[in-house]
Parts: sequence; C-alpha cells; structure tokens
Amino acid sequence: MKHDNLIEGKWHSQGSAAQVDASLHVIDGEDYRIETDMGGRYSGALKELQVSDRLGNVERKIMLEDGSVFATRDNDAIDSAFKKHRKINGFIHALENNMGLIVVAVVVTMVTGFSFFKWGVPWASEKIAHALPQKTNDLIALDSLKYLDKFMFTKSKLDPKRQEQIRTHFREKLVPYGTKDVSYNLHFRNWSMLGVIDIPNAFALPSGDLIMTDKFVELAKNQDEIDSVLFHEMGHVERRHGLEMLIEGTFVTVAVMLVIGDVSWIADMGVGLGAALISSSYSRKHESEADLFAFKKMLKAGIDPIAFSNIMNRLESFGEEIEEKRKQAKGKKKVVVEKKGSSPNDMSDFMSSHPSTAKRVEMAKKYSACFKKGLATCDIVLP
Amino acid sequence: MQALRFEGTGKEYFKIWIVNILLIIVTLGFYYPWAKVRTKRYFYANTLLQDRNFEYHATGKQLFWGFLIAVALFAVYNILQSVFPLGGALLAIVFVAALPWIIWRSMKFNMLMTSFSNVRFGFAGDLKQSYMNFFAYPLVLYIGLALITVVAFFLLKLVQGMTVLSLIIVGIGVLATLAYILYALSFLKKKNTEYLINGTRYGQGKFSTEIELKQLMKIALKAILLGVLLYIAINALVMLFVGLLVLATGGMESLQIAKPDAANILGSLMSLSLVGRIFAGVLGVLFYIAIIYLGTLAVAYYSGRNRNYIYGNTKLDEKITFASTLRTKPYAWIMMTNFLAVIFTIGLAYPWAKVRMTRYMLEHTEVNTEAGFDEYVSEKQKTESSLGDQIGDAFNVDVGIGF
Repeated sequence: MKHDNLIEGKWHSQGSAAQVDASLHVIDGEDYRIETDMGGRYSGALKELQVSDRLGNVERKIMLEDGSVFATRDNDAIDSAFKKHRKINGFIHALENNMGLIVVAVVVTMVTGFSFFKWGVPWASEKIAHALPQKTNDLIALDSLKYLDKFMFTKSKLDPKRQEQIRTHFREKLVPYGTKDVSYNLHFRNWSMLGVIDIPNAFALPSGDLIMTDKFVELAKNQDEIDSVLFHEMGHVERRHGLEMLIEGTFVTVAVMLVIGDVSWIADMGVGLGAALISSSYSRKHESEADLFAFKKMLKAGIDPIAFSNIMNRLESFGEEIEEKRKQAKGKKKVVVEKKGSSPNDMSDFMSSHPSTAKRVEMAKKYSACFKKGLATCDIVLP
Repeated sequence: MQALRFEGTGKEYFKIWIVNILLIIVTLGFYYPWAKVRTKRYFYANTLLQDRNFEYHATGKQLFWGFLIAVALFAVYNILQSVFPLGGALLAIVFVAALPWIIWRSMKFNMLMTSFSNVRFGFAGDLKQSYMNFFAYPLVLYIGLALITVVAFFLLKLVQGMTVLSLIIVGIGVLATLAYILYALSFLKKKNTEYLINGTRYGQGKFSTEIELKQLMKIALKAILLGVLLYIAINALVMLFVGLLVLATGGMESLQIAKPDAANILGSLMSLSLVGRIFAGVLGVLFYIAIIYLGTLAVAYYSGRNRNYIYGNTKLDEKITFASTLRTKPYAWIMMTNFLAVIFTIGLAYPWAKVRMTRYMLEHTEVNTEAGFDEYVSEKQKTESSLGDQIGDAFNVDVGIGF
C-alpha cells in the first residue's frame, strides 16, 4: 500500500493575493501531489521542488513550475518530507536549535568581542601603522598645524632666545634618539582658554612636529623636565600613534556596523558610549607606551626619569588650582542649575584620556631608581 | 479595522541573532548579508494580517556585492575624513549630494523585495523628486535659516547701545528662528513622507496620503512644549535628589555642594559613610531612571503622534485605510525599559527588546480589511541591485516608513 502523508496549507496562483486552502500529499517519500480547493492539481517528484529555508516557525513557501505558490506553516512535516532530497538548507536552522551551540555562541561572541577590541584591533593597527611608509604620517598631519593655529593657538609670547635655546637643545640632544626618517620640528605656541587661562600642554603631530605651549615652558623648572615631556611626545611619533588611532577608529566603526546592522536610536546610544570607552582605552595604552619610550631614552641620555614625575605632579596641581578658581568664580554668580554631566576635566587634554597621574609617577620613580643605580636599561614587569 | 499580529518570540530571535553574530565573527564579517536576510525574513514573515503574512525575498547573494562596495566606501570615507580634517567637509557634501540617490535606490530595492500575501510591493517615486525632497528643499530652507540669522545680527549691530531695543530684537529674533525651524522641519517631514508613501505600490494598488502642514506643526510644537516642561521637571528632580542627600547626611557642610552638578555630587559622595553611600546609590539609580523616562516621553510623543497622524491619512486605492494607535506613556515605557535592559545585559537583551518593540508597534497598527486583498496581483518589475540599500545600511541612513 502506498504511504500518503498529508500536509495542509494554502495556495496562491502566480503573483496573486487571493488564497485558497490546499493540501500537499507526500507519496512514498518520493512524489508529491498538490490539490487546491479550486480544483487545481499538481504532481511530480519531490526533488524537483524548491522550498524556502526554515527560519524559526515562519511559513514555508514552495514555488511550483507555473509560478504559483504552496505555503504552509507545518514546518516539521516539510522538513521530514524533504530530508532525503536535500532540497532544504537546514544547516543554519540546526545551529539555531542546538542549545549547546547557543551557549557556546554566547561565550564565543563575548570572548571574541572582548579580545578583538582589547588585543586584536590594537595589534593589527600597530602592524598596519608600522608597515606604512613615513610619508603616510606626513600626509595625515598635513595642514594640521595650520588648522590648530587658526582655531586653537595664538603666537607664542616666549622670548625668541629662549625658544631657540630649547630648540637647539632638542635638535642636538634628543632628536638623535629618534629614527632618521622622521624630521622633528619643535614649535612654540600660546594656548588660552576663554582668553584668560593659559594652558600648559604639549602635543605631537604624526609628521614629527612637536608643539609646546608657553605656559608649559613657564611651569617647567628645568631642562630635564622639558626633555622628559619632549621624549614622551617623540614616543607618540615613533610608535606612530596618530596613524594607529586612525586605523583603530576605522576598525571599531566597521566592526560595530557589521554586528549591529540596523541601528535604532536605542542601540545608537549604547554603541556611542561603548565606542567612546574603547577609544579612550586605546588612548591610555598609547600614553603608557609613550611614557615607556621616554623613560628608556632618558636612561640612555643620562636624564633622571624623576623629572617626568615632577612635571606631571606640577601639571596636575596646576589643573586643580584652575578648577578651584573657576568654581569660586562661578559660586559668586547666581546659583544656576547647570547642564548635567559637565566634567571638571575640560582643563587640558594632556590630562584627560590619560592613565592616572599616580600610576605614571610611580612608573617614573621605578625608572629613576634604575637611573640612580647607574643602569642604562631597566627591567620592570609591566602591570 | 483589524490589528496586525506579530508571532515572533524573543527566545526564538535570540537564537537566530546569536548564530548570526557567531557566523559573522567566524567569517570575518562576510556573512553579514545572509545574516541581514535571516533577520529581515524573521520579522517580515512573522507579521500577520488575517492569516496572511509578509515576506522578505532578497538573498544573501543578492546583497553581497552591494555590501562589499558599501563597506569599502565606508572605510575609505572614515579614513579620508580623519586624514584631511578640512577635506572631510567636502566628503560630507559628496555624501549629502548622493543621499537622495541612495534613498531612492534603497526604496526601490526594499519594496520590490517585500511581499504581502504573495503580492510584491514596489516603489514608483522618481529620482528627480527624490532630489527635490532630500536635497533641494533642505538646501533652500537651510539658506533661509542662515538669512534670518544674518538679518538678526545686522539689526542688532544697527541698534548697538540701546539695550531695551536690542533686547526686543533678540527676543523677536529667537522666536522667529524657532518658528522658522518648526516650520522648516514640518515642511520637510510632510514632503518626504508624501514622496515615500505616494510612490509606494502594492501590486497594481497605489498608496496615497495627503498631509496637512498645520497638523505636523501642531504636533512638533506640542512636543517642544512638552520637552521644555520635562526639562524643568528633570531639573526639579535633580534638586530634589540633592536636597534629600543633604537631609540624609546631616546638613550642607558635610556635603559641601555648591551647586547640583554631577561632578560635585559624585565628589561629595566619596566622603559619605557606607550607609550614606548605599542610600545615595539607590536614590541615584531611581532618579536616573525617572529622568530617562521623562526624556523618552518627549521622543515617544513626537514620533508616536506623527505616526498616528500619518497612518490615519494613508489609503491604499481609496478603499483600504490604516490607523496607528500608539499612546505616549506605554510607548515611552517600552523605549525606556528596553534601553535599560540592553544596557544592563551588555547587549544580550537586544533580541528580546527588538521583538517587544516590534510587537507593540504592529499590534497598534490597524488595517481596514473589509475590501479584502484578493484582487491584488504582483506587477512586473525590473530587478534592482542592492547597492543603494547596502550603502544606506553602512552609512546608517534611515529609509522608508516601516510598519
């Protein structure tokens, strides 16, 4: 006796919205017969039919040769009828229904996501950044100084003789410790916030242009302190941090775009926050690297790394002082409810997105201890 | 009127979602087009009206080339923008100029790939109109805004010194600017919505809508007023929070809060006793949730009322009508709790949140089905490439009207 397996469903003629009840008979697991309530009849071998992939429990559609469609929600019956004929790509559905795999997927996703952002992106970015010629660095810094001059800085008020003295010292004593393909240039600028508070800071452009603000030179007590910060900035250039940040940023945006796909405003908020946290973690890493570069070169150049710790501490207390003054100035005015989340740290970007000063000072002290023992290298286990 | 139904579940979608992510990771991103198809199909096919459902027909293969080009463009755009800070502005202009094309292609592709009850949708809006709606109008309105600002500054310069007069001018200037922005945004919304809906086809059937500018402006104005009220309420809450903290910790001195600003509050918290800190923490979280809820209320009001109004004025062939019955408070509640759930589960609650939001939206979408759909038949249409759709995806262009 023939084995007749019946699957209930609906039938549409080609491109028509009208639907009638229909049934699909599976005969001996090899042939099919579709009967519609309108009296339509189709028959043939199962292996000739095209069936849409299984997805959760959504309706399955079987396209017939005249363009009409048989649709059914009896997913299990369809799966078992077509199993033998491999007409269905059930692989993904099988993955989705494997509880063990789901757990593995959650874990793998979390671990991969974490490692990707924590190690993968910085590693790949570093490799790419260093594989590119120095020209790339000049290119990304192109016009940057002009741009900064226009919107941030004013002309330095520092005595030109003092400028030249620092510049000569930099060229003769520090630049030789850098690689040859970078052409270093030291610039002096004044930077003030709201036209009142002069800000002490130092910057490095990927091209090798280093910038020091007047206030910074004023705060530095001696040449060693200036050197320590210049070495730090050279570290950024040598390690190609500008280029790295650029590549890291591209990686993060593309990766986030791939996983999130359709971004709703809710996801947008979370993603924005996450991306900001990630990029500030990269930036902290770069600062530590630049510090390390500075300490190592200072040992070689015979400068006590304690100078870095001294200038860092002074910069921090200067920042606190300014903040205190600002608070007092504001306190005198009427108490106005301020925008929430205003951070006390819009002070200087030498401080923000940097590791805590305490940690950096501690590091400087360790290197200083090596220096005092007369060592030219220092083996410190990194935290 | 009959409401749409959504039969997907958070649990089922979670499995689809996590396998998608896993495969995207394993294939270094190349699985994305197939993942997108699976997601869209899941949401479309689980959307039912009577016992008929929607279907998404694009295949991963179809999306793949568009996807590759879009990712390359996106990467190049990002890099160039960071390399040349000023050239970035130029790129933005190129993007703005291409936007109407992206929207147009994306609409054509997505409508063609969507069917309901075996009949395909389509999009017949033309490219020229897309440039009118998404380029020319915004440009003209933007120039108008710039003109108003310039005139206001000019007048202000003229009367320099006369304080009362300049105050009046500033006041009028601010009001005029706000009114103009309100008008401009509502006008753009009207034009864009009419373009998108009037161009949409269902088989041989045509969607049509006529939107009154006055209604959109009314909604926007009310949303702004609501926003202002909520802003005041939020600030009052912050003050109340600080006040309670001060009470709980024995006076102003121990806290030294000069003004209720987040950094100050945080700083002062560090000096509290353990009990004080726990109390402040719990209180802080409660107030934070209240503030997010108030913030979402304005968003929910604006988007919900607009949707209700637009759906209520949309017809398919003069006989099938639509309605949207979103209410501000439950809509905002879902938005907020979804947001919190996603944040606190570092993203794992995303599938549940998406299903929940989709279900709410669909169950508050109604269709007058008396006339029935039986006479609709798919029109013959040219196949479309997925490039516009994928570029839209990459650059996060929000296209279409959605359900």
